[in-house]
Amino acid sequence: MGSRVKIQSGYLGKAAIEVKAGANRDTVKSLLEANKEAGIVALTGLDMAKKIGLMYHMCTNGVIVTIKTEIPKKNPKIATISDLIPGAQFHEREAADLFGVIFEGHPNPARLVLPDDWPENLYPLRKDAKIDEALANAETAPRQTEAVQAESEGDIVNIIIGPQHPALLEPEKFSVKVEGETVKQVEPRIGYVHRGIEKAAEQRTYLQDVYLVERICGICNSCHAACFVETVEKILGTEVPLRAQYLRTIILELNRLHSHMLLLGHAGLEIGYETLFQYMWRDREPVMDLTEQLTGNRVISSAMTVGGIRRDLQETDIPKVKTQITTLKKKMDFYYKLFENEPSFKIRTQNVGVLSKEDALKLSVVGPVARASGIAIDVRKDEPYEAYGEIPFNLITRDEGDSWARLMVRLDEVVESINIIDYALDHMPSGPFRVKVPRVVVAGEAINHVEAPRGELFYYVKSQGTAYPERVKVRTPTFANIPAFINIAEGGNIADVPPSFVSLDPCFSCTDR
Amino acid sequence: MVVDLWFVFRVLVFPGFTFIFFFTMFCDWMERKIEARMQNRVGPAFTGPAGILQPFADIIKLLSKEDIIPSGAKRNVFRLAPILAFSFVVFAFSFLPIDGSAVIPNSSFAGDLIFVMALITIANFFLFLSGWASSNPYGDIGATRVLTQFLGYDIPLTLLALAPAFIAGSLTISVIAANQYLPFAILAPWAFVLFIVTLQAELEKDPFDIPHAESEVIGGLETEFGGGKLAFLRLTRDVQIVFGAALVVELFLGGPYGPVFFGLPELWYFLWFVLKILAVVLITEYVTCLFARLRIDQVLSGNWKVLLPLSVLSLALTVAVATWIYPLVM
Amino acid sequence: MSKLATWARLKSPWVLHFNSGACNGCDIEVIALLTPRYDVERFGIKLEGSPRHADVLLTTGSVTKQCAERLKRIYEQMPEPKFVVAIGACACSGGVFKGNYNVLDGVDKVIPVNVYIPGCPPKPEAIIDGVVKLLNSVKEAKPNGK
Repeated sequence: MGSRVKIQSGYLGKAAIEVKAGANRDTVKSLLEANKEAGIVALTGLDMAKKIGLMYHMCTNGVIVTIKTEIPKKNPKIATISDLIPGAQFHEREAADLFGVIFEGHPNPARLVLPDDWPENLYPLRKDAKIDEALANAETAPRQTEAVQAESEGDIVNIIIGPQHPALLEPEKFSVKVEGETVKQVEPRIGYVHRGIEKAAEQRTYLQDVYLVERICGICNSCHAACFVETVEKILGTEVPLRAQYLRTIILELNRLHSHMLLLGHAGLEIGYETLFQYMWRDREPVMDLTEQLTGNRVISSAMTVGGIRRDLQETDIPKVKTQITTLKKKMDFYYKLFENEPSFKIRTQNVGVLSKEDALKLSVVGPVARASGIAIDVRKDEPYEAYGEIPFNLITRDEGDSWARLMVRLDEVVESINIIDYALDHMPSGPFRVKVPRVVVAGEAINHVEAPRGELFYYVKSQGTAYPERVKVRTPTFANIPAFINIAEGGNIADVPPSFVSLDPCFSCTDR
Repeated sequence: MVVDLWFVFRVLVFPGFTFIFFFTMFCDWMERKIEARMQNRVGPAFTGPAGILQPFADIIKLLSKEDIIPSGAKRNVFRLAPILAFSFVVFAFSFLPIDGSAVIPNSSFAGDLIFVMALITIANFFLFLSGWASSNPYGDIGATRVLTQFLGYDIPLTLLALAPAFIAGSLTISVIAANQYLPFAILAPWAFVLFIVTLQAELEKDPFDIPHAESEVIGGLETEFGGGKLAFLRLTRDVQIVFGAALVVELFLGGPYGPVFFGLPELWYFLWFVLKILAVVLITEYVTCLFARLRIDQVLSGNWKVLLPLSVLSLALTVAVATWIYPLVM
Repeated sequence: MSKLATWARLKSPWVLHFNSGACNGCDIEVIALLTPRYDVERFGIKLEGSPRHADVLLTTGSVTKQCAERLKRIYEQMPEPKFVVAIGACACSGGVFKGNYNVLDGVDKVIPVNVYIPGCPPKPEAIIDGVVKLLNSVKEAKPNGK
């Protein structure tokens, strides 16, 4: 690669490499040769007036390396890397939708997040896009209507699941081609929940954005807020007080508790085990109560703010939190017994939707899905943030890679989360819980990642030295895990689709943003 | 004329249609309550005392709703199938001795056990037709699942029903019920347990409720139905559950017969019958709450590989025991 | 007779839940309604999967452009009399997403709404209260669109 490469240090991960447009493939290739377990985290597009910047955030051994390149806006063409890393397919399709980048050689360059009747050549994240005007013109154009009826070609029946379907709490469409009982092909159509949050974040101040990004996903809301404020703090160079770090850790773990229990209960619903669902959600309610007690809100906690946390922990709260989580920990024994022994539960989840370690690496999956396939990645261990560096906890992995293992990983993590909260409460440092930060953020850019309940959550923020961010990029864990669903479902039984799907913990409001 | 009035009363009021309807509603309420209690909830609570009127409210509301026939549906079948399915189940019910004699007086005949089971098959076939007529992919899948599952489990069910018939030496339900000085559930417990399991599959309850798997097929065959037609489909299902329980009672638990302490024997018979049915409903609902739903291929292979051989075995065992051992004991 | 029908309607509102672009916050609170602590089956409320079975449409979230068509269709598939409850700030007015390029603000831009339940997300108690308010208004029986 020689002279084309310029090594930079900074906030873009452990290293940032700037390469010329043509060299992106070679760089990725040599990275993969150096480390077979490398994967893609995100692909950030950036409007740079005359040019479009592309940043390939790659992950090797838990650390992020960024490959930067620029292409002219007039002719935004670049070679695809999705043949090298299949996990990059969706990232490239998203960049094509939002920035109009053309990835040459992409196997399926169809629209991903924007609606079907979105005007051609209108790319919402480009700064010069006249969206209102273009949309007003497009109003007159006839609307396309989507096909609803199942159609069949020979022996292959095309079943369309969604956008309204009881198994999906969120609107999203899957065309499933079925031959007999075997799934031949799955084609997801995401974008039903695409609200254009990345664009909206550019139009709001940093403080307003904290509230906006929380609402990317109501389930892992604290993680979004925490990741965003940490990124901004990195640009600002703010040192967050230790007490705030511990408090954030507690809130994040409560978030993980409620999210994992929600999913485990929902899994019961998907396999027709309503009793499990009711029990799990009953035991989840105390977690919601604790969140409400500590932050003032049951679901969307709004606890994080740039420079610390918005509410201090009252000394009187500690015993109540401790009793509640101890009771919860005792109740987990019951679920262990159920998950490990109940025959009808095991028959529906064991050896169902197996994702091998090789496939998991190839598709760059994250979080419990990766850990259930034997990949030991966890941002809390790899690059400890907040108080995770000081708190002892186990990294849970399982080797089976099936739906059961994915659920078991979450069950184990519930117990780990309880232990983390317990430890954090015992070792709570005193001191301030917030420091003052300027409203205007100095120019700079930073990336950050945290371990959300569903896996690695990634943020990129670029500041131009104003009160408004220039660009906010969010790569959610579910976006990285969607390709795994296609891999799991194809070739399997149609009745196995719900359990294997739910074991990936899908969340489309995250995926679409 | 007097006889005719009596006949009309028996068919329409007691123990005929009206009673079956109200009793089904009561069982439905009880099922929902049991399920809720098993799941740590309260269940219907404010519709009448302890929510007992909840099923009535559901049915009346459905009947008062707009009746939609989807444009793609096969109109006549779509209209008629739910009502016919309901009628056939109720018709089958009227051959069961509820207060000592069948609903329609003197309707019992030799071999009516087989006839009643055939009626139930026909009712299920109309359920399938209604799903098929709605021309909705999910309705189609749900209907096919009903048919596949029903046809599969019909065979072991019939074989198992033959066990009590053998012991009693008759294919007439009232004779089988009347001949149980010791309930057949005690004399042939293997057949009894298998019959309950098969019935669970036949009635499409967990772990066999594949045609109603919401996460897979939305409402199954009911998906496109709303208003009055949905009311009939739901009623059919509810009456089927009570009918299944009644069949267990007739074949294995001594039918309506039990100790008569004073007064009219009919009243006592009726009381025993109701209590026994409620006990069976309790058991099936309990099983429902304990298990997750199986997959359709697991259910089918479970039938052909496990239940069918077992039911043949059980029949052989029953025949052997009924021929050589019971005459010695009794 | 109509008194009986009104009574039945009040006692057996079957609901359908549709997320037209929400963040899941409201959705999990809607699902929480079914679980032991809130248990809305007490009031006869049942969550149904098919629009044909439902009396009340619980919508959550701002309406995205891709979802608008489908939301309308689901509403049209429901048999009369039908009611719509908009749950959460986003469903009421677009909430925090108001003005975004892919968002049509509130649900009432697409279908008529009977009850608005603000909150981000509203607590389950608030949702129950909203449904009770809807039921009280049903007593005077003015179905949608009439």
